[in-house]
Amino acid sequence: MQTLKLLSAFFKVNVQMALAYRADTIVNILLNIMWLGWELLSLNIIFSNTTTLGGWGLGELIALLGVFRLVNTMMIAIIWPNTEKFNQSIRDGSMDYTILQPVNSMFLVTFSRITVWRIWDLVLAIVLIVVGINISGDTTSPLSILTFILLTVSGAVVIYSLWIVLIALTFWFTKFDNNVTILHALLDAGRYPATVYPAWLRIIVTFVIPVAVATTIPLQALRGDLNLNQVILFFTVGIVSFLIASRVWKSGLKQYSGASS
Amino acid sequence: MLLIFQRLWQVNWAEQWQYRANLIMYLLYWLVSPIIYLAVWTSIANSKGDVNGYTANDFITYYMTLLIVDQITSNIIIHSFGYKIQDGTLSGELIRPIHPMLTNALVNNIAFKGLTIMGLIPIWIVLFFLFKPDYSNVALSGILLAIPAAILGFFIGYLLSATITALAFWTTRVYSIHEFYYALILLFSGQFVPLTLMPKLVQDIAQYLPFQLLIYFPVQLILGKLSSAQITQGFMMAGIWLVISLTLFTWVWRNGVKRFSAVGA
Repeated sequence: MQTLKLLSAFFKVNVQMALAYRADTIVNILLNIMWLGWELLSLNIIFSNTTTLGGWGLGELIALLGVFRLVNTMMIAIIWPNTEKFNQSIRDGSMDYTILQPVNSMFLVTFSRITVWRIWDLVLAIVLIVVGINISGDTTSPLSILTFILLTVSGAVVIYSLWIVLIALTFWFTKFDNNVTILHALLDAGRYPATVYPAWLRIIVTFVIPVAVATTIPLQALRGDLNLNQVILFFTVGIVSFLIASRVWKSGLKQYSGASS
Repeated sequence: MLLIFQRLWQVNWAEQWQYRANLIMYLLYWLVSPIIYLAVWTSIANSKGDVNGYTANDFITYYMTLLIVDQITSNIIIHSFGYKIQDGTLSGELIRPIHPMLTNALVNNIAFKGLTIMGLIPIWIVLFFLFKPDYSNVALSGILLAIPAAILGFFIGYLLSATITALAFWTTRVYSIHEFYYALILLFSGQFVPLTLMPKLVQDIAQYLPFQLLIYFPVQLILGKLSSAQITQGFMMAGIWLVISLTLFTWVWRNGVKRFSAVGA
């Protein structure tokens, strides 16, 4: 309950901050629409030359673009701004004040900045998923929709957990302020089904920087490509990675000794 | 003048060398999308035999060559210079008797490229063994022609980006303008796919725009895919765009500096 209250407080503060820069927000939304246009055009170019990509049709790739945009929104609306703030707070020692708050520090560090206008991206993502699935003609059952939602959430949790581990490393290596670049770099691989990548790249995006777990795999669940065991496996991966991330965060905090000492 | 450039080189090389870890991260970041496009298009070519005459190997050689060409022709001037106009640190450079963007910033960009290319070489070799491109059709003449083409491409791209950067004299939103410019590059340069596979309309427009000179033209020169008429036309376009971009930059810069009043003035 307290968490929800805090979250809505953060949200309000961030809305106020965004309202101070209204023109920028409009420019950003226009640029966002431009990129959507480019993404759809590039899919159109691909599918004017072929009918399937890695066994997936145009509709499925549009839906995948939607799922990718969900993850991408998380990256840009939450991960980027909070990482920037976090790195700064490690360098100048203002992390001290965050730890002193009577709330879970991991929660504070990861949600205090939200790029609010990106919320509209979530709506757009859902539209893309629905439209894409309709174009593809895949039959969906309530069960496949449920597994899709479960695996999308657990995929997002996997990415979130990896992010926690990456920024927690800053407690040990203070100069490691490139911490999320590698995550951001490989995120683009989520635009296409992991099945088109050569084996070594597929291994990287599934196991090392598990972008595919948050993009390709939920959509495979929606298509009914996964059996029950796989669904349970990927869901467990989400829970386990979150537990590991919290542990890493806690031991990282013990390392933290302020900027002046 | 030569001595000035020599000194600038030493300073900027040392400065970039400090940030070598950042450079590696930048390189990784920049590498990912060409590799993804390569994977996507070879997968299509493999399933169909070819795409409009492009075999899987054609795509592999295209993107592997693109990795090198793009590293030569691209620049980071917007990031290394834009903030100087905005926060006023430019004042110090303006009182020097040399042009800030055409000397110091230029050398800084070249030093940056020198280092990233050094980092790219081992990665490129690893990718070479992973993708096994067949370069047997490449002739020395193509490579020799591509060198001046890539250098021209770099200067055209540099001047265009410098023009956009100099818009910071008027607006605080240069980064948004640059993002739009980058989308144009994606669409018209051949970064996403060889231009001949683009819709006809895009191809027709692209051949008169400068963006294909940054990637598509030098890459296809190396791969020997252009007729002599196309090569002549490409170099002519490069000459024309060099003049246009230089004129544009000079004009924007001159008017911008007149407007400039540093923070605190």
